[in-house]
Amino acid sequence: MKSFRCVSALVLPLALASGVVAFQGESRWFPRQGPSYPYYSDDYGPSHSNEKAEFYWSRLRYTARTDNYGGGFGYGYGFGYSWLRDYPKADRQFLMALRRLTRIEARSTEQVVDLDSDDIFNYPWVYAVQVANWTFTDAEARRLREYLLKGGFLMVDDFHGTADWERFLVGMRMVFPDRPIEDLSDNDEIFHVLYDIGHRFQIPGEQYVVTGRTYEKDGYVPKWRAIRDDQGRIMVAICHNMHLGDAWEWADKPEYPERFASMAFRIGLDYIMYGLTH
Amino acid sequence: MGAPTPSREIGVPGAPGSRFVREMFELLFKYPAAVFSRGRFVLLGGWPKWVLGVLALLALAGLGWQTYSRLRRQSHSLKNWQAGVIWALESLLICLLLLLLWQPAMVVAELKPQQNIVAVLIDDSRSMGIRDGSASREQQAAAALRNGVLAKLQERFQTRLYRIDTQLTRIDSLEDITDATAPATHIGASLKQLARDTSDLPIGAVVLLSDGADNAGGIDLDAISALRNRHLPVHTVGFGPETVSPDVEINDAVLAPRALADSRVSATVSFHQSGYAGQKGRLTAREGDKMLASRDITFAGDGKMQMENLLFNAGEAGAKAIEFGLEPMPGERNPLNNRVVRLVHVDSEKRRILYVEGEPRWEYKFIRRAEDDDKLVQIVSMLRTTENKIYRQGISGPDELADGFPNRAEDLFTYQGLMIGSVEAGYFTPAQQDLIREFVDRRGGGLLWLGGHSSLADGVWGGSSLVDLLPVILPNKKDTFHRATATAELTPIGADSLICRLVDDRQSNLERWKKLPYLMDYQEAGTPKPGAAVLAQMNAGGRKLPMLITENYGRGRTAVLATSGTWRWKMSQPLGDTTHDMFWQQLLRWLVSDTPGRVVASASSQTLLDDGHIRLFADVSDETYNAAPGADVEAHVMGPDGITAMVDMTPVADKPGSFQADWTAEKPGSYVAQLTAAQNGKELGEDVLDFQRLDGVAENFHTEQNRDLLERLAAQTGGRYWRPEELSKLADEIPYSEAGITMSETKQLWNLPIVFLAILGLRAAEWLLRRRWGIV
Repeated sequence: MKSFRCVSALVLPLALASGVVAFQGESRWFPRQGPSYPYYSDDYGPSHSNEKAEFYWSRLRYTARTDNYGGGFGYGYGFGYSWLRDYPKADRQFLMALRRLTRIEARSTEQVVDLDSDDIFNYPWVYAVQVANWTFTDAEARRLREYLLKGGFLMVDDFHGTADWERFLVGMRMVFPDRPIEDLSDNDEIFHVLYDIGHRFQIPGEQYVVTGRTYEKDGYVPKWRAIRDDQGRIMVAICHNMHLGDAWEWADKPEYPERFASMAFRIGLDYIMYGLTH
Repeated sequence: MGAPTPSREIGVPGAPGSRFVREMFELLFKYPAAVFSRGRFVLLGGWPKWVLGVLALLALAGLGWQTYSRLRRQSHSLKNWQAGVIWALESLLICLLLLLLWQPAMVVAELKPQQNIVAVLIDDSRSMGIRDGSASREQQAAAALRNGVLAKLQERFQTRLYRIDTQLTRIDSLEDITDATAPATHIGASLKQLARDTSDLPIGAVVLLSDGADNAGGIDLDAISALRNRHLPVHTVGFGPETVSPDVEINDAVLAPRALADSRVSATVSFHQSGYAGQKGRLTAREGDKMLASRDITFAGDGKMQMENLLFNAGEAGAKAIEFGLEPMPGERNPLNNRVVRLVHVDSEKRRILYVEGEPRWEYKFIRRAEDDDKLVQIVSMLRTTENKIYRQGISGPDELADGFPNRAEDLFTYQGLMIGSVEAGYFTPAQQDLIREFVDRRGGGLLWLGGHSSLADGVWGGSSLVDLLPVILPNKKDTFHRATATAELTPIGADSLICRLVDDRQSNLERWKKLPYLMDYQEAGTPKPGAAVLAQMNAGGRKLPMLITENYGRGRTAVLATSGTWRWKMSQPLGDTTHDMFWQQLLRWLVSDTPGRVVASASSQTLLDDGHIRLFADVSDETYNAAPGADVEAHVMGPDGITAMVDMTPVADKPGSFQADWTAEKPGSYVAQLTAAQNGKELGEDVLDFQRLDGVAENFHTEQNRDLLERLAAQTGGRYWRPEELSKLADEIPYSEAGITMSETKQLWNLPIVFLAILGLRAAEWLLRRRWGIV
């Protein structure tokens, strides 16, 4: 017991000091809340690269609300890690397709961007997931509004059902209180910039492999929606009741149907190409 | 008119001095200078001239021998050069005396008394009504003639009186001159008319009393030739001060005759002043009652030409009469010369730019967004999204650019500008490269290269057939494109360029550029070619590299923007900042605004002062922009009070595709000429030209005496410029003329005062030198 006390006396202060340092010296590559996430391991190579390119696949890091379970099906993510969903495998597999199929000069690794810094203005295309859990301070909402109105593009993905939609709107209405959200038609230019995507269908997450269901919660019907600027250009592309990130992430899994993965890649490439041209 | 101010003859070198010289000349040489300038030198003595030469040589030799032998013997200290000076003085004296023995004289033609006519012309235009003291210039001229000058002339000649304004009118007496109300003076035309109307009369000389204000812009060669053919000397008498003070006068306002709607226009206003050096003035540009722009200026020194720029917005489409003015200064003598009106045709026809981009990138997106707000410039783009896919935007229909970059002139030449992004030169076939060259050279289009990792040297453009079109000599290496930040700044040329003008004030604009966010990347563009203009440069890695370089090539223009990172000017500046959009709109408007159409109209002058004659020109091309000499071209002119006319234009010899027509605008006001061309029943195109006739305005300018014009006229015709106070001697000089009925007069020279002074001077100089050198 005595030895335990001695060890505790040494370890506890060290642990506390480490925690303070970790909190104060927050790294871009670590979430601002809680311990490090297992996917930051080197399984997919370093998450940051000094490689310079025209296009950086940018993932939005936001502060997640704490009154939610924080995750979709099955994985039980801890509080605060919603923005990390499918990271970084989905990003990197998508970048492989982007670099192979288009003339976009893109970096092979992803970039994490925050709304608490003007650095986001250097990345005019941003991807966000689990947006039912996002929260913004007034300053962050204002920065995102300015980012979008100046020419930035935001794609949101992986939120399902009525409750998620309502929670998504809480954040979105802080950014754009009045702008209408409209359903996109087949004829919209965003579905024809690179690939003509006429018939779209619901793209499920990996849970489809286990359950055989294409939907989650009460999100039975896929919603392809958007918010436009004053000139009619899409600023926010909303993929509701679907999970493109999982489709990119598990495209290499034999059990995950190819048709879902293919559609997800085509949608993603069209959205990026639209963001680079409009 | 305010109280008169004594004239200040600043800048008239030698005016009083030349009078002194003239008077001294006549004192020493006994005869007027005209006798020597127009006469012929002769020796009246009966002995042969060679005898004079032989005697002179003998005298020189004898004096030389005497000087050398006698003087050197007498004084051994005498130096050679001193002996030479003595010899020269004695020799000159002997030669002069020998010359006098041969009786030198001048033979000069002289008008026969009472058999010749002297034409006296009095300027009757409005500027002669300006009062320089208690009387107007015209009254001063009439008074000078009445106070003896006319009477002295009439003692020796017949006289004819005329008044001149836009034409020559004979009058019977000085009472017939008007009150100097004529709106203009055409001195050259009036003199030509005089020479023509009096071709059968013995006119011996012309006396012109004027202030030299000529609205035709000078005296043309035809008028001078007509006078010289008849050997008619014109004696000019200048009235009016040679400098009006205090006064401010605008000399000119220069600006492009055409502009795109809602674009920034730069005008260069030149002016001079007297009496306000160092004081502040206000330069304005107005359209009717609407103030377009104004700025404070500081006047330079008296009489110095000053040039200032003024920027204003062209506004909506249509013909605009822009009045440039300097607000009247306190006590200014003539505020009517403080403003000029210039026409600008503001065009609203949409320009189209073909933008070829080799890869999706942010610069492409943000350039397109900037141009979305420009209603007059449309970007039609073809973007290579994949190796084999091209995404087209801004096309007018599904067929446009469906086969990629145009292969035919008639397709490519429908655009006014061309932008090449991150595209290798090899993407274009040799035929397409030739087409691009013709697009700039012959069609007159604008070509802009953008930086990128497949652009410029990295795109092997240095080895392409379009290398001549580049305004830079590209580096002879690869990897010139760097994804590293750079900051931009203006060069002095760029500070004056409309492309780079983000803020109207020049200094503020320079500061604005220094505060722009950094560029995302930069490219080494190489060395600017001679004749190219570097408007902006980049600070990159401790180096200064050219960023925006422009050049004229053929009928068109080319430019390089050696970066693809200006999009940060949009994303990294506050929401609503227009810097990025404004820069690109101005750059692309520059690229296309001067690209001509298939019919280009022009005129001899867009502002007709008092004379309504105008010559209209049209350059006509077919759809491949080759000259269309067989076109039918006509001008439909519309003017004030419902004036309308259809004028057929005729081909200009030796200039295929050029047509011209003469027309006269009878009434003052604004006119519009619509020039249309057709060939084989098919319309080729049309263009619109604005012009105006202003009556009575020119006389408000150059109200000071134009002595230079009067002096040149006198010198070119063998006459002389006279000041009014010298007129008492006019009658003595006029007789020496070859015009009219003349007789030959011989003027002896032996008795000139200068001869006696020379003899005395030579002897006195020799005596003084001998005394000084001790050889007396």
